[in-house]
Amino acid sequence: MTNAWTQGVGEQGEQELVRPLSTRWLRGIFIDLLARPPFQREREQWAGKTVPELIDALLLQTEFWEEWLQAQLYYFLLVDNFRPESESILRLPGELREGKSDIPEALLRIALCASFDRRNPGADTFVTVVMEQFLGIEVQKNTRQLEIGKHVYDGGRGNFLGVMGSSQADVVRIAIDDERTMIRFVEREYERLMSAPMPGRAARSFADELRQDERSFAQILREWLLSENYSQSFETRTELPNRVFARSLFVDLFDRLPNTEEVRRLRSALDGLGDPGPLRSALVRIMLDSGKVELPTREEIEHPRRWIEESFLRYLGRQPTAEESAVFREAFRDPACRPETVVYALLTHPEYASR
Amino acid sequence: MNPNQSDRFAFPELTRRGFLRAGLAAAAGTAMVPAGFALAPRPDRLTRHVVLVAFAGGVRTRETLGMPANVPNLAAMAKEGVAYYRTKTSNLGHFGATMSLFTGISEARGIRENARGGDPTLFEYLRKDLGLPATDVWISTSGGAQQTNYSHGLHQDYGAEYGANVLDGDGIFNREFKSILDSWGRPKQMDPHELELMHRMRASVGGETESSKESESRATVERYILDELTRGTSDVRGANAADAKAMRVARNLLSIFKPKLTSVVLQNADAAHGSYNQYSEIIRMNDAAIGELWQVIKGDPVLAETTSIFVLPEFGRDSDLNSRRGLDHGDGSDDLNYVSTVCWGPDFRRGIESNETVRTIDVCSTICELFGARARFARGKRLPQLFS
Repeated sequence: MTNAWTQGVGEQGEQELVRPLSTRWLRGIFIDLLARPPFQREREQWAGKTVPELIDALLLQTEFWEEWLQAQLYYFLLVDNFRPESESILRLPGELREGKSDIPEALLRIALCASFDRRNPGADTFVTVVMEQFLGIEVQKNTRQLEIGKHVYDGGRGNFLGVMGSSQADVVRIAIDDERTMIRFVEREYERLMSAPMPGRAARSFADELRQDERSFAQILREWLLSENYSQSFETRTELPNRVFARSLFVDLFDRLPNTEEVRRLRSALDGLGDPGPLRSALVRIMLDSGKVELPTREEIEHPRRWIEESFLRYLGRQPTAEESAVFREAFRDPACRPETVVYALLTHPEYASR
Repeated sequence: MNPNQSDRFAFPELTRRGFLRAGLAAAAGTAMVPAGFALAPRPDRLTRHVVLVAFAGGVRTRETLGMPANVPNLAAMAKEGVAYYRTKTSNLGHFGATMSLFTGISEARGIRENARGGDPTLFEYLRKDLGLPATDVWISTSGGAQQTNYSHGLHQDYGAEYGANVLDGDGIFNREFKSILDSWGRPKQMDPHELELMHRMRASVGGETESSKESESRATVERYILDELTRGTSDVRGANAADAKAMRVARNLLSIFKPKLTSVVLQNADAAHGSYNQYSEIIRMNDAAIGELWQVIKGDPVLAETTSIFVLPEFGRDSDLNSRRGLDHGDGSDDLNYVSTVCWGPDFRRGIESNETVRTIDVCSTICELFGARARFARGKRLPQLFS
């Protein structure tokens, strides 16, 4: 694709990325694709490798597709009591990784699952959500289509979005087959990963490729992630979603992922606040003081400067500036400053809660 | 309190004295508002606190003021205040219609849209015009992540800086989350010197600064959340558990912080899609919770003579039952498009039953006027026949 939006993509852009991965990029790409920072062993494994190598490897992991599915379910607010547990949904990550399913099929299964029906009960709610969430249509300006869709949902025959149907399943199939659904999908996925709206009218051509099965979504993602636009996304700070924050905290402090129930509860609690900052801060303190985080004692830290640098690299993905280093070293000289105090300062800073 | 944990408790219980300290710090922050910027409360009004209950989830008048036995507390409140039986609203989806109550603008929003609106909210008008700290404006919700978007809009003149504190009772105060926290234990008390070192380090990162007002406000909310987790809200169960928690959180917020504005957003009545009986039961239970809140206000020496209450749904429901013997919301009937609003407070007339057509979006402008603030972009008007 040679659209203006992908300036820098292609050989020249890729060449620039064939440098060794910086810690910041390593952390950022892991967060973007796996919704968590790298484990200790992965930091070691990827030292000296390149951006394209990392992206290619992560896109092949089932974990990537599991997190992709979680992002989709969150978009449709199929969370907590409405999270799907049917086999057809749970199988999706593996099937998508192996190329046995594609994006239209995944969206179709989500819309046809029992959880989606329970989440959106009744003709009016169901058809409205399908029109809004899949097609990006403002129903208040398309009340006629809404009424037809409701009629079809209730089993009547009707021409919904230009196609005849007569059941709830038809409403879903017609919507998924509509070209607007894939365009909307491309737009929101691009924005989710690149932290910016897709420029120009590129969404339609990507959507066509997906619909016509010319390229897989992973191939399209690779193109996005190797573009200059993705590089630019590292220049601005984007707040981590609560789910990603919770997973990151576990990886950074315990070098493990939270189990499904832990992450669900933490995400749900953090989502319950307009400003999750105070609860994020409380969680950091509770974890640090739990005695379960392996931090060195003051006495074990022989070289505070180095330990502070390592902490910045580990938690923020970058070296401290000279000024930051000086302030932290000065504070750490005070016996009242514990290693936990340093980590608390870093993990409750907005920079940690963003990527 | 578990005696074994006593030395590990990080935060003192939020007592009135503790709150006063927080309030003083907050007031110090407020003093930073440029001179002449904050408007003074209207001296001709007795109201100093407002509770706005969005009795949402889609609730018809037929099951509320149309059936007083179903809602004895709301009916009693109406008798002592003003009831508007024809409050016009629009079926903009629960999210959009409830947001309209706060912005004073009827604006379509996607049912599952999970984003902030473009218009300023009631909370922003009050905080900006009156120079209120964040601890003075709260929303207690029951509908999860989506409803936290009510805290503020994205308008360039307002925004997050003037947003409300939003707490979703069911999301935070539940047994499972509490048990996860309990498994880690409580954080240690950080001595003031260590805290000061921590703040110094944090302030140096990225060259950013956090004002002492923001820092204190966050610490106060952090303390409140950890304390509320021990108060039993997490153990509330039942068909209206999320609503019951939202009401309970509001009641506790009101007792502890005595905010200028406490909003509650209910949602469980939407169970009506699948069961009319459950819907009716939820309305009864929510009415009982409103009654308890009312009693707390009446029994509080500070709040009793200075608090006004507004209760209204975001929209109603269909006239007829659906095939599941439930009630949807999409038939365009008067049952859907007209709801009842109840207003009670020291500045309001008593025993007024109004059939004049008003709008749900009028509430935003009315509350702003009550406080002496201006809802600059709202399209509603002051509710007629309200003030005594």
